[in-house]
Amino acid sequence: MSSPISFAAGDRVTPTSAAVLGLVAMAAVSLGAGLFARRWAHTTSDFMVAARAVPPRVNAAAISGEYLSAASFLGIAGLVMQFGYDVLWYPVCYAGGYLLLLLFIAGPLRRFGAYTIPDFAEGRFDSPRFRRLAVGLVLIIGFFYALPQMKAAGLTVQTASGLPYGVGIGIVALVVVAGVVGGGMRGITFVQSLQFAVKLFAISVPAFLLLIHFSGTGVPFARGVGGLDRLTTTTEFRVVPGEIWQIAGKTQVKVSHPAAYGWQKQAPTASASAPAAGFEGGTGSTGKINHRRDHQRSLSGTGQLPQGTVTWHTSDAVTIKRGQPAPFGNETPASTGASWIAPFGPLAGGTGHPLLFTYSLILAILLGTIGLPHILVRFYTNPDAKASRRTALMVLVLLGAFYIWPPILGALGRSYDPGLYGSNLTDAVVLLLPSQLGAGWLGQVMSAVVAAGAFAAFSSTLSGLLVSLGGALGHDVYGRWLRPTAGQVARRRAFQISALGACLAAAALGLLVQQFDISVLVGWAFAIAASSFFPLLVLGIWWRHLSTLGAAVGVALGGGIATCSIITTMVATVSSPLATFLNQHSGLAVVLAQPAIVTVPMAFACMVGISLLRPNPPAAVAAKMVQLHAPELLGLRREYIPE
Amino acid sequence: MSQQLPGAVDGEGSGLSSTGLLEFEEQTEVGELYLRALMHRQGRLSLGIALVFAGFLLAQPLLAWWWPEWGRLRLLGIPLAWLLLGVLSYPLLIGLGSIYVRRAEEVDDEFTDLLRGR
Repeated sequence: MSSPISFAAGDRVTPTSAAVLGLVAMAAVSLGAGLFARRWAHTTSDFMVAARAVPPRVNAAAISGEYLSAASFLGIAGLVMQFGYDVLWYPVCYAGGYLLLLLFIAGPLRRFGAYTIPDFAEGRFDSPRFRRLAVGLVLIIGFFYALPQMKAAGLTVQTASGLPYGVGIGIVALVVVAGVVGGGMRGITFVQSLQFAVKLFAISVPAFLLLIHFSGTGVPFARGVGGLDRLTTTTEFRVVPGEIWQIAGKTQVKVSHPAAYGWQKQAPTASASAPAAGFEGGTGSTGKINHRRDHQRSLSGTGQLPQGTVTWHTSDAVTIKRGQPAPFGNETPASTGASWIAPFGPLAGGTGHPLLFTYSLILAILLGTIGLPHILVRFYTNPDAKASRRTALMVLVLLGAFYIWPPILGALGRSYDPGLYGSNLTDAVVLLLPSQLGAGWLGQVMSAVVAAGAFAAFSSTLSGLLVSLGGALGHDVYGRWLRPTAGQVARRRAFQISALGACLAAAALGLLVQQFDISVLVGWAFAIAASSFFPLLVLGIWWRHLSTLGAAVGVALGGGIATCSIITTMVATVSSPLATFLNQHSGLAVVLAQPAIVTVPMAFACMVGISLLRPNPPAAVAAKMVQLHAPELLGLRREYIPE
Repeated sequence: MSQQLPGAVDGEGSGLSSTGLLEFEEQTEVGELYLRALMHRQGRLSLGIALVFAGFLLAQPLLAWWWPEWGRLRLLGIPLAWLLLGVLSYPLLIGLGSIYVRRAEEVDDEFTDLLRGR
């Protein structure tokens, strides 16, 4: 740790050959395993539901592998580093969503024998129109969940190798689509269970080694308590004109050339989208500065930066010695050790309504998980409800084993690599921290391992999304509306072409969203899922009086209002009158950016209210309840897709 | 693939013949009562476990809100609030999940035995 770490401004980091090697190895393994598994895929059933012959243990690893996306592998550690305690709700609720899935959904839905949420919607309510509504929502949620994965792919490849953003997306899209089109669900199941093992290894082993490595220098959490956070290494920052630093206290710096900067005392004001800057983190601009109030200052040789907000006007290499306060970039609110460690820190506390924000966040993630289209599909690969429940339980075990580690990496990052704050690189803490193990082979190997883990993260989630998008397009749009008479081969071809098309579309959109606030996009996916599919599934399975009209209106209204409120938040980031209005009504801003706390109860109320006012349950509802709840041993089961 | 809906249970091929099952399949009022009893038991089991977890989760923000000192407590140098939420949540999730799976399988088995044995 003696040599100064050096970061270029912006997103670029010196590429390391070890990280590139890790990426290439993981891409090759994924591709190879997918193509190898191809010889197992003979029928449509193999393709769509892996012939329902996957044992719970393998299936659970595949489900976990698919679920742990870039948001989990990279995002959580980065967000913990940025915001502290409040971020712990993300991993806990990501895992907790599976308990709810196990309790209310996994068994009955498997018994019902439907393949997707649209299958359930039509089967339960006898309404092809309702099915179309559900297919539309599946496509919207799926695409909005795929975009941030694409963006993470571009950024990871860029960080590791220095290749342009678009090239990263292209490579990942290629690898993923080859696996999906080649191997179908059965191949994907195999590859994803492998990818889970890679991810678990790649997060736990580096974190464990770093804990041992740093334990000689003090207890990790104890470091941040002293108030300001100080650099543990002498660090050189390359700044460019326009770059913003928040300085927590007077800081001694050395500049390579005479430098000019603007200074003002206030911290940047949080924008309306700050509460939503959650899931993928870091990419949203959370700070806005009024540059007209800047005091112009200059600096040459060695000097002192005053407390406040500094906007650099010149390109420079700024060296800050160890022991000095770490500068915070414009993407992280400056925080003291105490506010970072305690509940209601910069994330929830920054909204002005910490309790409201925290509860809405819990609700959105916990309930949204169940409504994500690529999650439920996996449970149909189980032979029966018993296996389905056991699979869900196994998933809880695997997720628990994984989610303990990312916050540890985030906390280690805060204590031992605070230079990342100034470079706005907290998102990459998982990728960059292992290099602190030293320049020897261990540091190199671990850098390669985390790069491989990151690749496994976004590529496995993308595969799962493509299977559901391909399923929705191939199975529904093609197989039901366009060519209901199509045979097995045509259906399989339709699935492959749809998956390819969906991947191309997501990659193209991924190129467009490079500058966009992806955290809002993921938040949208979760909020829509929580306020549309979650009430549909829970009430549809457990309440026989749910009427078709009530369910349809509830899904449309819940999903629609969640969508509108988030669009409003997105518009506020570019429209200053709206942003000003939302700043004055911070309670409203919190609800708009994180609408689950309003839209979920509303969707429930809507479904129950309409069903009670106009009681009109679908025909043969009793038979459907038998289908959902009667144990398989009674022999009453029907498969939606013939084996 | 046929367009048959999963709800269209016609009972053929079940291969089992006992009165309880027959009533179940023909959706008589007695069969209906059986099903309601099963759903009631399973639903109560699920809801009970969900409430335990919800209580654990939803109580923590309130605890921190009413007792700010909570955020500053430490055990072996590690903040207690972090341990409870970030570490202990997972054993709790797994514990609740395994209790549920065992109980749910018991309920299913009892129900199957009941219908077959009648």
